[in-house]
Amino acid sequence: MSSNSLSFWEDSGNGRTGIMAWLTTTDHKRIGLMYMYVILAMFIAGLCLGLAIRLELIAPGRTIMDAQTYNTVFTLHGVIMIFIVVIPSIPAAIGNLVLPIQLGAEDVAFPRLNLFSWYLYIGGTLLALVSLFTGGGAPDTGWTFYVPFSEFTTTNVSVAVIAVFILGFSSILTGLNFITTIHRLRAPGMTWTKIPLFTWSLYATGWIQVLATPVLGITVLLIFAERVLGVGLFDPNKGGDPILYQHLFWIYSHPAVYIMILPAMGVVSDIIPVFARKPIFGYKTIAFSSLMIAFAGSLVWAHHMFTSGMSDTAVLIFSLLTFVVAIPSAIKVFNWTATLYKGSITVDPPLLYALGFIFLFSVGGLTGLILGSAGTDIHVHDTYFVVSHFHYVIFGGTGFGMFAAAHYWLPKYYGRMYNKTVAKVAFYILFIGFNLLYFPLFIIGLEGMPRRYYDYLPQYQEGHVISTVGSWILAVGVIIMLVNLIRGFTKGEELKGRNPWGAATLEWTIPTPPPLLNFDKEPDTSRKPYDFQGVTPDE
Amino acid sequence: MDATLVDAVSKVDTAFKFIFGVSFIILFLITAVTLYFLFRYSKKRNPVPAQIEGNLVAEIIWIIVPCIIVGAMFWYGWVGYKALREAPANSYEVKCTARMWSWKFEYPNGKTSDKLYVPADTPIKVDLTSVDVIHSFYVAAFRVKMDTVPGMHTYVWFNSGEPAEYEIQCAEYCGVRHSYMLSKVVVVPKDEFDKWLNASASAEVPDEGEELLKKHGCFDCHTTDGTELVGPSFKGIYGRETVVVENGKEKTVKADDAYLEKSIIEPAADIVKGYEDMMPPFELTKEELGKIIGYFKGGGKPVAQPGAKGAEIAEREGCTGCHSVDGSELVGPSFKGLMDRKTAVTKDGKKMEVTASVEYIISSIKHPSEYVVDGFEPSMPEYETLSDDDIKALIEYISTLK
Repeated sequence: MSSNSLSFWEDSGNGRTGIMAWLTTTDHKRIGLMYMYVILAMFIAGLCLGLAIRLELIAPGRTIMDAQTYNTVFTLHGVIMIFIVVIPSIPAAIGNLVLPIQLGAEDVAFPRLNLFSWYLYIGGTLLALVSLFTGGGAPDTGWTFYVPFSEFTTTNVSVAVIAVFILGFSSILTGLNFITTIHRLRAPGMTWTKIPLFTWSLYATGWIQVLATPVLGITVLLIFAERVLGVGLFDPNKGGDPILYQHLFWIYSHPAVYIMILPAMGVVSDIIPVFARKPIFGYKTIAFSSLMIAFAGSLVWAHHMFTSGMSDTAVLIFSLLTFVVAIPSAIKVFNWTATLYKGSITVDPPLLYALGFIFLFSVGGLTGLILGSAGTDIHVHDTYFVVSHFHYVIFGGTGFGMFAAAHYWLPKYYGRMYNKTVAKVAFYILFIGFNLLYFPLFIIGLEGMPRRYYDYLPQYQEGHVISTVGSWILAVGVIIMLVNLIRGFTKGEELKGRNPWGAATLEWTIPTPPPLLNFDKEPDTSRKPYDFQGVTPDE
Repeated sequence: MDATLVDAVSKVDTAFKFIFGVSFIILFLITAVTLYFLFRYSKKRNPVPAQIEGNLVAEIIWIIVPCIIVGAMFWYGWVGYKALREAPANSYEVKCTARMWSWKFEYPNGKTSDKLYVPADTPIKVDLTSVDVIHSFYVAAFRVKMDTVPGMHTYVWFNSGEPAEYEIQCAEYCGVRHSYMLSKVVVVPKDEFDKWLNASASAEVPDEGEELLKKHGCFDCHTTDGTELVGPSFKGIYGRETVVVENGKEKTVKADDAYLEKSIIEPAADIVKGYEDMMPPFELTKEELGKIIGYFKGGGKPVAQPGAKGAEIAEREGCTGCHSVDGSELVGPSFKGLMDRKTAVTKDGKKMEVTASVEYIISSIKHPSEYVVDGFEPSMPEYETLSDDDIKALIEYISTLK
């Protein structure tokens, strides 16, 4: 450890100390951590809401809350988890920590804009919380804000959609910042084919953020205009079209799931080669498939609307395009698996979580084929099958990707290591709890249990009971994992060298924890990102 | 049975089986191969990793093979979808109107119901729309689901098959009672369906026989509730064993069609024992007589006890989805004890107290947002299309709920 230079923890770079040094920082690492702390707090809040939903559903009829409360709880669970936790999780938190260093840069292209994005994020989050306690009560529309219901309901939807609007701008500006950084701030010699795949995935993500999020911004503003000014774009009583809203909403919100999943794929692409000690299989294919997902993923939005009443021709086209987007995801999975072939594998916690990602994402992706196929989608649309598919992809995918990223990169930034055995135990508990929680939901979904139901017919109870028990096991796993990480980063063993995993990307060539401007010497860009020959873990 | 009729469900299920089957194989292979690699190429067993950066042939294979697989999946799915959309031309059509939070089905003869009754072994096409927000008509057993969109008409079709009952669930989130927006598809044998369709129509359309009896003033002398006025009660008159006096001689007759017809046209011929010969003869056509006797066959009792019609309307129009009849609070105030209750309400932002008079209740049905009872949301849709008769029946019903 280079003890001569100050790390970014001690050197704020803005002459301030204490909390103000953080709140006025333009350091990408501090901003990344500030995102992470808020995301963690909101993740726990969203998790508690999720547990409450599961507990309510353990039996038909009222268990712990009334129907209106239940509707606001699942709305909040969705809004918090999607807009405040998952979308910023890997890009804004881990991306900020890692992306500039992987490129050999001292910071992002627009550091102050980066801080402004964080303030927008905080502002949007606070406004979302305000919407709970003011006006006509917490929103009860579901995170999709479907019209005309979102126009009729007397709950505080107007404030909530403005919160989403602001959160959207935070996301747009982060995407813009990353794209510019990747184009302009690569160290000399850092050619496009040497960019680590994590940063590649953030590049593809950035374009979706910049191009798709404005549509969401406009859409939620239109809802606001409908509610406050009574414009009538979506209200059939005034000649409006409620299906237009669905198109506008999904033009953003389907690409948004790629904003959520692409960075996690990038994390896995970076982790697997390190622990297999072998170059990633098909670097260019993986990088290109990220761009393909971003592109094709922008053309499939209406597969959320096969039952909406749109034309059969539209169903044909969107079903076909949806299958097209399955291809690049499949390629990535095959390439990851092939990377393990003839490797020299050590199953450390980051790899374990990354493998968990591959399995859970595969289940989520394969069940997505049922949803992309028009005839089968009609039956399972808006049932628990979709709920389960979505959680396999987003929690099993992005969530486990985030956990993998935390176990992989965070020791570098805190300069301390967590207990690896506990991390593995936590993984197995999480993995079992996860499948127990979500797998039964596939079954009851196929049997016709609709989503967003406060009460249900008795034939679905068995699945709900297993699922609720699973949610408790999952919660135990999350708690063990988080406590282990937090203990590790505050009291754990100090890292002795720069490169605990023996990785070959630039962030592992700098001091631990990194100094304010990252590099203590010129970044060495001669090595390929997954060339481990001559690189060994620092014990 | 016509093979095309069972097609849709089986085609969709074929797509399910194909996609699940292939997916399971892929998942199994990926998992098995990964676990094998983790074991075989662990650091212990394989200390020196190979340096492989890729393999063009392998990658081309696993680009092309998935393309073919998903192409096949798409095709099966599309075939299933087309079967779900192509309603046979001879389908029996029912109109369905969704509203928060109930379903209303209207049959070709104008009869309405809150459950979907359909004849067996018939293709059924349900025309769907909504009066408020988007709902979704979902019958899992028939693999059909379609949103009901206000201002728009969509449809589903299915083959009803054997007599049975299937759940209808609302699949598009529509507010606080979403999960209670349930109904049933009731498949009944064809002849039973026809009987139901026409018999129940009388509950809706005023019974023509009853209208005739009213027109001729019959109820002035004959009650429908069993009490005696001037003549014998119509209650249970059809088929009743009656002692009559014919030309001074007593005999027992059964009140069949012929007897009843004769008693209307020539009342003096047979006088029921204990009654005076007071009834004038009525000149009616054979058809009119048939209608009156049809009414007698129906029991001749009043349409039911007070409020029965209103109760049916409350059920059909979805009122009871939000207003309980037992005093419990759902979405709106309970109907129980509503009549003449003093209620705190808000009108135009001002709080006031009103008495739930008949006028107040009528106005609250037609324009619910004018007076909003404290503690409740102004979420009730306007029921301007209800006929005056229906509203009258509803109020009668509410007034019975003390």
